[in-house]
Amino acid sequence: MEAKHDVLIVGAGCAGMRAAIEAFDAGADVALLSKIHPVRSHSGAAEGGINAALGNASEDDPEKHAFDTVKGSDYLGDQDAIEVLCNEAPEDVYQLEHWGAVFSRTEDGRIAQRPFGAAGEPRTAYAADITGHVLVHVLYEQVMKRNIQTYEEYFAWQLVINDDRCQGVIAWDLLNGGLKTIGAKTVILATGGAGRLYVGTTNAYACTGDGMTMALRAGVPLKDMEMMQFHPTTLAPTGILITEGTRGEGAYLLNSEGERFLKRYAPNAMELASRDVISRAEQTEIDEGRGVDGNVLLDMRHLGAEKIIERLHGTRELAMTYAGVDPIHEPIPVRPGAHYHMGGVDTDLDGRTELEGLYAAGECACVSVHGANRLGGNALMETITYGKRAGRHAADWALTHTTIEVPESVEADAEHDLKLLLDRSDGERPWSIRNELAETMHENFGVFRKEDQMREQGEIVSGLRERYEHIVVDDKGDVFNNDLTQALELGFLLELAQCMVVCGLARKESRGAHARPYDYPDRDDDNYLMHTLVRWVADAPVLDWKPVKMTKWKPMERTY
Amino acid sequence: MEVKLKIWRYDAYSGDRELRDYELEAPEWACLLDVLDLIKDQQDGTLAYRKSCRMMICGSCGMRMDGRAILACKERMKPIVDRGHVPVISAMGNMPIVKDLVVDMDPFWSKIRRMKPWLEPGYDEVLERERIVSQQQMNAIQKEALCIMCGCCVSECNSMESDPEFFGPAALAKGFRFVGDTRDQASIERLEDYNDEHGIWDCTRCYFCNERCPKGVDPRDAIAKLGAESVKEGIDRDMGAKHAKWFVKSAETTGWLRETELVPKTQGIVAAVKQTKFAIGLAKKGKVPPPIPPHVAADVGESRALRQLVREQGREGAQGIIQGERGLARIEHTDAGGARRDAPEVTPGEEPPKAEG
Repeated sequence: MEAKHDVLIVGAGCAGMRAAIEAFDAGADVALLSKIHPVRSHSGAAEGGINAALGNASEDDPEKHAFDTVKGSDYLGDQDAIEVLCNEAPEDVYQLEHWGAVFSRTEDGRIAQRPFGAAGEPRTAYAADITGHVLVHVLYEQVMKRNIQTYEEYFAWQLVINDDRCQGVIAWDLLNGGLKTIGAKTVILATGGAGRLYVGTTNAYACTGDGMTMALRAGVPLKDMEMMQFHPTTLAPTGILITEGTRGEGAYLLNSEGERFLKRYAPNAMELASRDVISRAEQTEIDEGRGVDGNVLLDMRHLGAEKIIERLHGTRELAMTYAGVDPIHEPIPVRPGAHYHMGGVDTDLDGRTELEGLYAAGECACVSVHGANRLGGNALMETITYGKRAGRHAADWALTHTTIEVPESVEADAEHDLKLLLDRSDGERPWSIRNELAETMHENFGVFRKEDQMREQGEIVSGLRERYEHIVVDDKGDVFNNDLTQALELGFLLELAQCMVVCGLARKESRGAHARPYDYPDRDDDNYLMHTLVRWVADAPVLDWKPVKMTKWKPMERTY
Repeated sequence: MEVKLKIWRYDAYSGDRELRDYELEAPEWACLLDVLDLIKDQQDGTLAYRKSCRMMICGSCGMRMDGRAILACKERMKPIVDRGHVPVISAMGNMPIVKDLVVDMDPFWSKIRRMKPWLEPGYDEVLERERIVSQQQMNAIQKEALCIMCGCCVSECNSMESDPEFFGPAALAKGFRFVGDTRDQASIERLEDYNDEHGIWDCTRCYFCNERCPKGVDPRDAIAKLGAESVKEGIDRDMGAKHAKWFVKSAETTGWLRETELVPKTQGIVAAVKQTKFAIGLAKKGKVPPPIPPHVAADVGESRALRQLVREQGREGAQGIIQGERGLARIEHTDAGGARRDAPEVTPGEEPPKAEG
């Protein structure tokens, strides 16, 4: 064992760093561990903003925020978790401001808030269109202030389970090579999403679902894994994100006929309907021949140069660099792209999983506040509020429990498995498997889902997993061997894909991001107002269900 | 499209360097990062480089193309291929190479940490609501807040090349992010600290950091703002500050730069006396105007009026710093369409213009 800590946090984006700060302030010995430097985390790519009922732009209160979130989730969100989020959000945002977050401001000097999809009030606090970037940096400043130990460029591979408790992490040290074991009384997974399952995704290369699969392999269930959100405005072919803030500021979505087609899908909210609704509308327009080279058009010319430069400067730079289009003069071609996993490691309101000592927060967790569809601006808020809660609880628990024991056999087994992979000299390189996985997931498990396609995808993934057993890595060295870590990431993704297919097939209804227009076009509250739960048993996913927690809001028809 | 490029490989064990050629088929939309991915996948899995967001925000993929620092995810390959150019890719400068295109960022981060890079609000308890700050006040640190810590500016820094202990452009820009923040209560202490040896006055003003920053942070502007704030707060112990002050004083009083007085005002009387022989030599060749009577410019009134205007407009300190032209060009747009955006005077693949003389 290299070192021991009270609280070890895997992943150093917004959720991980917020958890680390909270646990440190609670008096615990804390360390962060991340495969990339904290400020490289994908939280930094969040653009539009963070939702809290501050009431700076209109009369607003946490209850309205909660209702919008419940409705947005297509009633699959746990209402107790949503209430916690919405009640604690304002104070948590003020905290960020006091740490120095560079928020955009109203005329009277308060934090500015803009309208966002499916929100009844302008509730999204923002820093131009680089909100995530600003939050990642302000959190890292606080991490530096506290001098919190950070294992940078450590690739977490396995959880240490001993005595029915999670007691640490086994990680590959990227810069120096070798497996290192970091013992911990509590481990918080904050590894983000798994967008790399799809070929067109807004997610970074780092978003490979590491924490979800590590938990799954440790016997912890994942929840709502079929719920992958497709963001309506991403650039072809890479999936680079164009913020919902564009529509919050008033941009239009047009089809090839120049029509604001959302009037036929969401006549009241139009471009500010929820993401699942807009992604389906776009895909329908494209499928029915009213697209433009497989895209629709995001038009913000009428906003004027001044507003675009002041509030959407980063977006303009992205469009100019990656689409060759200046949005001041031309509309941007956009299409739906995989964006956010509503599902993840099943946790309670304090981030606890089924396994003692193991916590999860942020996108890798499923509390669940997003249910079947997340509202724009709620993800950053979740990382902060539930990162904080997980950090606090993990610290409290660690400070009252005193032992860490990592049996030598655990480390020896990991060494053995890794050696098998590194010693193999003949076989397939992982990249073709990775590409096939991402292309087929997009084709067969995308915006619209069909029974036979999902079944086919299950078989494809099984076949890919078979091939994965025989992969070979080119790089056998110790120094910055990300050929090895990328191969291990693919292993994480393959198991998640299999879980998603199983959950998708089981949910025989259309709810939020899970749209089955061909066989089950309607929501079925009688049979499926439940979370899917999936466990890994004997190298295969096993499905289970879990009731949704309801407090105040009865399911209603969902229109925008 | 058929892409050709050369990559400086670096063997982590032997320290050997080798320039290797690569040829591959890539899609027309590919950026340099996509091309590196294709090489790593299909030709050589041992090629090492950092990457993550591939959208210019995580700061992982800083490296050099044809000797200038870039983000690999930002450089479109098509124009380079169309010109028939074969770019040379190498690791960033001023940081030790770990392997191939991966550098050791520890020296970078230790300088960031040295700046005490966190807000000092002057209280511990979180107030009930946010502080009232105008958008204009936030805008004062807008560019510095854009910094993604990619290291491109540090890679190119000429001062750091000669003095590895120089704080460097990224750290100083981070420093201004707090000095310029109206919420920070430690600005004076920060300025005192940043005025130390290897600090703000050791910048040679080569403007490479502004030139090469992929995000328009313009670190040199931040350093200028720190200098101006220091002088405004009376922190002028460094020769750099004294030098700058004398320029202002000289221009305000006579409309000219009075070089004869520049040395004693900057370096002090003792240092000036030591240079007497040199000064006499200059004077003999007619290079130094006689100090008495002072040579007053004919239109000195204009220069005095300008100085007065700066005072009246409250443009002392950071407020008076004219922002880098590249920062302005970045956001420039024309009604005719197609903005003129951060076009370097030498784009990759073009021969640099011949120097005159």
